[in-house]
This record gives sequence, C-alpha cells and structure tokens, in this order.
Amino acid sequence: MVDHATAAATSPAPAAPVRAKMVQASKIYTDPAGAPKRVLDRIDLSLAEREFLSIVGPSGCGKSTVLRLLSGLTPVSEGRVVVGGEEITGPPKGVGFMFQRDTLLPWATVSQNISIALELNGTPPAERKGRIAELLQLLGLSQFGDYLPAHISGGMRQRAALGRLLAYGPELYLMDEPFGALDAMTKMTMGRELLRIWSGHEKSVVFVTHDIEEAVSLSDRVIVMEGPPGRIRSEYHIDLPRPRDLREVRKMPEFRDYCDRIWSDIGYSG
Amino acid sequence: MTTKTPSKTGRRVRLWVDRTALFVAAVLIWQGLSGTVINTFWISSPVLVAERLWQLAVSGALVWHASATVWQALLGLLLGMVVGVVVGLALHVLPRLAEAADPYIMGLYSLPRIALAPLFILYFGIGLLSKVMMAFSFVVFIFLLNTMQGLREVDQDQIDMMRSMRASRLYIARKLQLPSMLPWLFSAARISVGLALIGSVLGELLGANRGLGWYIEHASGRLDTTGLFAGLAALMVVAVLLNQVVNILERWAMPVR
Repeated sequence: MVDHATAAATSPAPAAPVRAKMVQASKIYTDPAGAPKRVLDRIDLSLAEREFLSIVGPSGCGKSTVLRLLSGLTPVSEGRVVVGGEEITGPPKGVGFMFQRDTLLPWATVSQNISIALELNGTPPAERKGRIAELLQLLGLSQFGDYLPAHISGGMRQRAALGRLLAYGPELYLMDEPFGALDAMTKMTMGRELLRIWSGHEKSVVFVTHDIEEAVSLSDRVIVMEGPPGRIRSEYHIDLPRPRDLREVRKMPEFRDYCDRIWSDIGYSG
Repeated sequence: MTTKTPSKTGRRVRLWVDRTALFVAAVLIWQGLSGTVINTFWISSPVLVAERLWQLAVSGALVWHASATVWQALLGLLLGMVVGVVVGLALHVLPRLAEAADPYIMGLYSLPRIALAPLFILYFGIGLLSKVMMAFSFVVFIFLLNTMQGLREVDQDQIDMMRSMRASRLYIARKLQLPSMLPWLFSAARISVGLALIGSVLGELLGANRGLGWYIEHASGRLDTTGLFAGLAALMVVAVLLNQVVNILERWAMPVR
C-alpha cells in the first residue's frame, strides 16, 4: 500500500478555459436494504477545453459514476456539476456518451444507427446522407453502411458506435471503457483512430478505463481513483509528445515511468 | 439469408415430400383401421370425413360455421390486444399501481377462464358477444404480461444512449421501446391465436347456434362421429391458417431478426 499523502500530487490549474467541472460532487445511492451508500465522495474535478483526461482505478471505485454525473444521466446527490459554464440538471447539450457495449439498435443498419445521432442533433434531412457517407469513410466502414450490427465484427460495431458519437458532434466526449470489450489488437487500432479524430477536432474527452497503459498512451492527464466511496487519489500530467504513435510511445522510458508510478499508486507494488 | 442454393431447395422439397408422406400414412392407417379393427361408428373414416367436408363446403355451411368461429376469435384477439397493451403501458408508467395490482392480475390470470362462461352467457347472451368476451378473457393477460415484460427488457444502455443525446420520451418510445417490444408482442400474438380460438369454440360449446364448436357439439349430440371429425379437421385448418397469418405479419414487421 502506498502512502496517501505522497500520492496525492497537486497540480497547477490548467490555463485553458474549463469545459466541465465537478465541485464537491457526491453520489449517494440507496441500496436494496434501504441504507444510503456513498459511491462518490466530494469529487473536485476540472476538465479544460481540448483536454484528453483518463480516469483509472479499481472496479467499484466510482469512475463510471463520474461519467454518468457529467453526462447528466444520473443526478448528483450533493455538490455541483457544471458543463459548458452551466450547472446541469439533465443531459446537457453537446455531450456525447460512449459505452463499453456498442448500444447499436440491432434492427437498424450501421447507416441508420448513425442517422439517429443526426436526427437528434437537428441535422437537416438533406444533409444526413452526405454526413453519414463521410463518417463511414473516416472510420473505414464505407462498405458496411447497409449491414446490420449482427453481421459485422465487434470491432466494427464499436467503430460504428464511435461514428454515431462523432455524428452527434459533441464538444465533450464521455467514454466509459469504450474499447474494454475488444481484443488487444482492435483496441490499439481503435485508440489510434480515436487519437487521429481527436487531434483533428480537439474536443474534450473523459475516458474511463481500467487499462493503465491505454490511459497513459492516450491522455494529457490521468486521474487515479480509489474507493468505495469513490475519491480522487492522485493525478498525473502526461508530458509525452503529440501527435503520438501509440506503439512508439509505449517504448519511451517516460511512458514506462508513468505506468509504473500509477501501478504502484493503485497498490500493485507487491 | 434465404439464398436459393440448389441444396437448400432440395432440402425444402424433401421436407415437403416427407411431410406429405407422413400425412398420407396417417390417413391410410386411419382408413385401414376403420371398419376392420375399430367400428366405423367410433372413428368414422377419412373417406367419410372428406365427403362430409365436401358437402359442407358445397352447401356453404362450412363457411357459415367457420366464419363465425374465426370472427369471434379475431374480435376477441383484437380487443384483448388493445386492452392488454394499453393496460400494460399504463402499468409500466405507473409502477406503484403495477406493484399494487400485481397479485390481482395474477389471480385473474390463474382463474380457469371456463368458469367465467356462465357469467358471460348471462351478461352477453349466446350470440357473438359472449364468445368474443370468452376469447378476450384468454388473450388479454398474454398481451398485458408480454407488454410489461417487453418494456422491462428494453436495453437500459440504449435508453441512456438516446437520453444522453437529449432524445424526447416520445422519440425513445417510437425509435427504441416499440421496436424492442415487437418480438414480445408477436410472441403474444402467436400464443393468443390459439387461445382466442379456444375461447371462441368454448363459448360455442356452451351455448350457440352456429360456429365450428357448435357444429361439433351438435354432431356429438346426434352420435355423428363423421360430423365431429369433420368439425375438428376444419378447426385444425383454421388454426394453422391463422398461425400462418401471424408468421407473415411477423416477417413483414421484423424482416431482419
């Protein structure tokens, strides 16, 4: 076990404008027995515009709950959640959520699934077709627009889900272990894809994962959580050069150093 | 999915040959037993039954009786579907009411519906309406329970996905909940077709002046086993046809599953 005080590295506040923040945000559920259960305990978190932030931590530490609070899908119990300068009470504008499961509608084709996001963000019908074609092209799915989710591979399904997210065009991407169910190879490809797209648009991303190497290789900043009740244990600014090649970056000694520090921080020191 | 490769067509043909052979064999055995091992009085014979069906068809009696049975079943089915789905939706929206009503719904569901027949005849007479209500009483719970179950089984992540994109409740209902529920509604329909026929025929057995159930009851009263088997055969054909209609509708509404 690592000493708390040494791990809680405070960092200078980012200079860029704030995209989203949580102020003393707690989440308290009522368990089936009727007793209150604190899953998040007074989280303070600030996300800058264009920042790529990852959250890692053991399962049950509340990292997914942080995302749900930021997305407005789950209301905060105490404290405040602010997105785009406004305190939120429900899903705010310009926030896209991606799940570990693709959540594609099984009866709709890849194109139709992407079209849903365009309908919901108010894209005029006349422009949808062209936009879908662009996105399919971008994600290498051009030939699969008319396929049903059941007829393409898991990696392609998740890619289609990413396409739907991009189609929605959010300013803030909330991604809950989006590549967690994929094999190592597909995961790497998807990560590369995500970075390529992100570096083109520079939106803000909060990326939840249990894969520390994935977090370090993708992010500007990694937050380590502990719990329950979920708290922020420490954070790391990842000063690795961009644009990053996901394979090359893993060979850098700094990369190994970050990973080692986070591993031992989480408690895997033996 | 249904690519017409020669081997697949070949298998289909063989299947139908097998099915026809099985039917012919059963009819032949029936014919062979009839009048030799078992008295024709008890089991009639395929030839006699076919003759009777022909007579009934030519005289228009077959359509007269079958149409009554089918209409009663269909009206009961339709009514049961509408009421079942609407109440199911209401109970989904009002979970507190659903919880309170649960034991009563299950109680009514477990009640042998045949016991309601005297009440229905008292209320609705021996005409169309008592049979419709009989069919309805069988069907309504199937749709009610399947609607509630179907709504419960809608993928919560998919609901959240749409909510995160600020979809309205109506949009989620239309684009997600309804399509997710379709398999549940069709499985309810498939079960209900048989049940609605049971309700319809049951009503006829207990008091009627037309319908296939009435015809069977009437034939039995006159010890007319040929008429009895003819009525049963006609009922079977009606049931199979109605099931086919559901299958076709299902393929039309959910072509991809």
